[in-house]
Amino acid sequence: MTNSPKTTGRINRLLAMLPWVIGNPGVSVDEVCDRFGYARLDLIKDLNTVFVCGLPGYGPGDLMDASIDDDEIVIEMADYFARPLRLTAPQALGVLASGKAVQSAGSGGDALDRAIMKLERTILPAGAEAVVVDIPEPRLVGELRTAAIEGAVMEIDHTSIASGEARVRDIEPWAVFTALGNWYVSALCRSADAERVFRIDRIRSATPTGSRFTPNPTPHEATIRYMPGDDDVHVTIRLMGDARWVAEYYPVDVIDDESDSMTIRMSVGDAAVAARLMIRLGKNAEIVDGSEAAIATTDLRSRILERYS
Amino acid sequence: MQKVIERILNLLAYLLTAERPVTADEIRNTVAGYDRDNDSAFHRTFERDKDLLRRLGIPIEREATDGFEVEFGYVVHDDRYALEDPGLTDEERTALALAVQAVGFGGRPSGQEALMKLGGVVGSLEGTQLGADLGERADTVAEAFLAVSERRMLTFAYRGSSRTIRPYGIVHRRGHWYLVGSVADDDGVRVYRLDRAADLELGHRKGAFKPPIGLDPASEVLHHPWDAGDGADVATVLFDEEVAWIAERELGSRAAITRREDGSIEAEMEIAAPEAFLGWLVGFEDQAELIAPPEMRRRFVSYVEAG
Repeated sequence: MTNSPKTTGRINRLLAMLPWVIGNPGVSVDEVCDRFGYARLDLIKDLNTVFVCGLPGYGPGDLMDASIDDDEIVIEMADYFARPLRLTAPQALGVLASGKAVQSAGSGGDALDRAIMKLERTILPAGAEAVVVDIPEPRLVGELRTAAIEGAVMEIDHTSIASGEARVRDIEPWAVFTALGNWYVSALCRSADAERVFRIDRIRSATPTGSRFTPNPTPHEATIRYMPGDDDVHVTIRLMGDARWVAEYYPVDVIDDESDSMTIRMSVGDAAVAARLMIRLGKNAEIVDGSEAAIATTDLRSRILERYS
Repeated sequence: MQKVIERILNLLAYLLTAERPVTADEIRNTVAGYDRDNDSAFHRTFERDKDLLRRLGIPIEREATDGFEVEFGYVVHDDRYALEDPGLTDEERTALALAVQAVGFGGRPSGQEALMKLGGVVGSLEGTQLGADLGERADTVAEAFLAVSERRMLTFAYRGSSRTIRPYGIVHRRGHWYLVGSVADDDGVRVYRLDRAADLELGHRKGAFKPPIGLDPASEVLHHPWDAGDGADVATVLFDEEVAWIAERELGSRAAITRREDGSIEAEMEIAAPEAFLGWLVGFEDQAELIAPPEMRRRFVSYVEAG
């Protein structure tokens, strides 16, 4: 049996609250509740715990002293808990990397810059440049985020990654998020009357249409995942030599894995995706099965070569 | 839970004031809340408590009680227990809290407990959601972070073999965490994808190495796949109007762009690894044309013909 995360969380808060109150004797109950996220009764429960703990002997002179007088908290006889606990590695990384991410995206401010500098000085002796978070925000992220909050319908000019086709659509932006190095907006596409996720760097322009929608008060799940569709193109490919990376990079089913080659099956939203992949892989890949992808590959090859003739 | 919390507070108070390693027996007979009659019950409880202390970030260490190294006890060193006060103001704490709220690791916020230790946050948090996620492998990244910040050697499994490196920095770019380090003093600096590293183990010694002077880990991690290599060609590509804006965004400031009247652009850029570059160019299908240098243009044509 291990101790529950709830216990860990409670002790973490207790060991954070103690130094604060010891360092600020007479601080009000309200402020401590606000600062450490306590409900009043939980704070009193923790203070009662402090009151019965202390040093061996556990007599009146050994136990810590915690009292509330006129809504002011005083903790005494607890000098050994006067300093806050150092951060664990995940905690330090979490707060520092989060700060740097917001800073890198350009959404921070002076206070954040100062906070990061102070943190780096104390928790990153290796130097500020040892931890870098680089998530630059492309154009339109700010506009789409504002539209999502305010419920503004946007007209976007979007080019599909899969087909390369550009289309103008009206969307109700729900949430803007970044994952795997790209920024996305999830939205109701009014033109398709369906939920869609668009990569923001493939949106050429976005302008408010003037129509409004009511934003959903509960946040939408901000994830990207491959969603199989009826129109998916299936293709079976034999990978040789250097082309094996494909099996690591894309969601594929490995059908056969031998020392000199590997056969995979993948589904793509558009045959053009498979065609571009095949051309990129060159001699190191061949289509075993999937006529639609094969036709698209031949077509793409002749279109590119046409341009160079 | 109440009993656990009281016992932990008593144990910690004892360890922090003992100023010497105290044996498990001393703890058992001195600290309130431990079972003095049942051996195995005591040891189970004590093991759990040590785990809990470590999870909280309390460095409880096992050391010899005297120079003869016959008897061992537990100690919490003062200087490793306490947080060095970064001196944050409430405004700065709020800025950090907003950042923690906006950024996740694998869908979960990370850093809330740190904020408590840093003095909590006053007032309610009203901020825009950044919606940024720094990946699933928070534990691996945290291990690498610890090795980097304490300059400890780092051993890990990578692509089927074991590496031991001097870790200089971690960089999050293009959606992945990278580890920058070198295998030996005179060896070049290498970059590893942290999501492909497993079984991370930190060396015991802190300050085990000094990073090379002037090293900037961020500049070691590539912006484009074709930045890695020893080629030194300058390529010129014409992008049609329909895709010019996409090319511009992907190339960023690292290409010299000339706009033509019809809306198409000519981009000039340095290419260290032509193979990777040609692969990227295929993504533009027949809406881009590699103009120069002629050898690279010929190479692109035979590359496409071969596919």
